Amino acid sequence: MFNKDNKPEKFKDAETIIGASIKVKGNFHGQGNIIIEGQLEGNLRTEANLFVGDKAKIVANIEANDAIINGEIKGSLKIHQYLAIGQNAKITGDVNYSEISIERGATINGQILCIPNSGKSNKNKPVEEETASEEE
Amino acid sequence: MNIYIYDDYLNKSKYSRVLNRVEIRLTDLGLNGKIIRLGAIKNIRDVIQNEIKNGAKTIIAVGNNQTVNKIIGSVIDNEMYGFFQKNILFSIIPIGADNSIADSLGIKKEEEACNILLARRVKKIDIGLVNNYYFLNKATIPSQGTTVEINNEYSIETVEKGIVSIYNLKSSASDDKNLKINPIDGKLDIYIKNKDKDSTFISVKKLKITNKNYPLLLDNIIEIKTPADISVITGKLNVVVGKDRSFE
Repeated sequence: MFNKDNKPEKFKDAETIIGASIKVKGNFHGQGNIIIEGQLEGNLRTEANLFVGDKAKIVANIEANDAIINGEIKGSLKIHQYLAIGQNAKITGDVNYSEISIERGATINGQILCIPNSGKSNKNKPVEEETASEEE
Repeated sequence: MNIYIYDDYLNKSKYSRVLNRVEIRLTDLGLNGKIIRLGAIKNIRDVIQNEIKNGAKTIIAVGNNQTVNKIIGSVIDNEMYGFFQKNILFSIIPIGADNSIADSLGIKKEEEACNILLARRVKKIDIGLVNNYYFLNKATIPSQGTTVEINNEYSIETVEKGIVSIYNLKSSASDDKNLKINPIDGKLDIYIKNKDKDSTFISVKKLKITNKNYPLLLDNIIEIKTPADISVITGKLNVVVGKDRSFE
C-alpha cells in the first residue's frame, strides 16, 4: 500500500501538493487528493483523501474522506472513512473518524469520536467516545 | 485559404534554405497560401482580422514562440469578426530555436509541420489571460516575495528562492516531466519549484499574483507588472496538433 516515501499509491495522482517551503493561508477546498508537506492556516476540506507529511504544520479544521497524518495539526479533524495517524503526528483538537489506526509515538490531545461508516451524512452519531491524551 | 505569418528574423540569410524547403513542401502538399511578413506591417491585428473577414480558414505562425505570442491575440480576439473567426484554425511551423509551444503541440520540425498541417488533427485548447494579454504556454515569476491569491479564498507564500510557474500548456522543456498539465481541462496549473525535492502543484481557474520586485513573464517573452489577474478562457483556440503532443 505504501511506497518508499510512506505515501499510499493513491496519492501518486494527487490533485494538489503543498511543498515544504510553502505557507498557505485561508480556506482551502479541493475535490481531489491533497498532499501537505508545508504550512497551512485556516480551513482544509477535500472530498477525497489527505496526506500530511511529518514536517507539515497545520493550524486548521480539517475535513476529508481518508487521511494519513504524520505532521502537526492544531484543529479538529473530521475524517469520513479511514484515519491513519503516524508515529510523528501531533494532534491538538477533536478527532472524528470511521476507522482508525494509531502508531506508537503519536500524540493526540482532544476528544476522539467514532462515527459510523456512512459517508458525510449528519445523521452519524458517535458510538464510542473518549477523551484521550495518548502517548504510547 | 491559408495565411502564413513570417516573423522578422526569418529575413536573415541563414533561414533562406529552410524557408525554401518549407515552401516547396507546402506547394507539393497543395497547402499554398498568402504570406504576410511581420516586419513590413505595423498593425498585425488589423491585417489578420481583415484576412479572416476575407475568408482565411487557417492562420499559420512561421517562426518561434515569440511569433506565436505576437499574433495569438489577433487570431482569438473575435469581438469584431466573431462569426468569421468561429472556426479559424491556428498552427505553427517552427523554425530555429525557442519553439517550446510548437513542441507541446507535437510539432517538432518544420517539414513535419507541413504534414501535420495537411492532416488537420484539431484540438480546441484553453488560453491563459493575464490582464489584457494572452499566453499559451506559461507565465513565470521568481517566488521570492511573490504572493499568490486563489479565488479570494486562500493565499500562498513561499519561504525559499525558486520559480512560480502558471501553466496552460506543457512544453517538453518543462522542468518536471511528471507534471500533468492539460490545456483542455479548463484549468491553469500552478507549479512552484524551490528545491529538487520540494515542489508544489495546484490546479485553479483564477488567481492573482503580486510581487513588488519582479514582473510576470508570459511565454518567456512579455513582461507584465503585478498585481496581475490570471484566468483561463476555456476552449478558445482551435489548433492543429501532431501525434506527439504533450496532452491527450
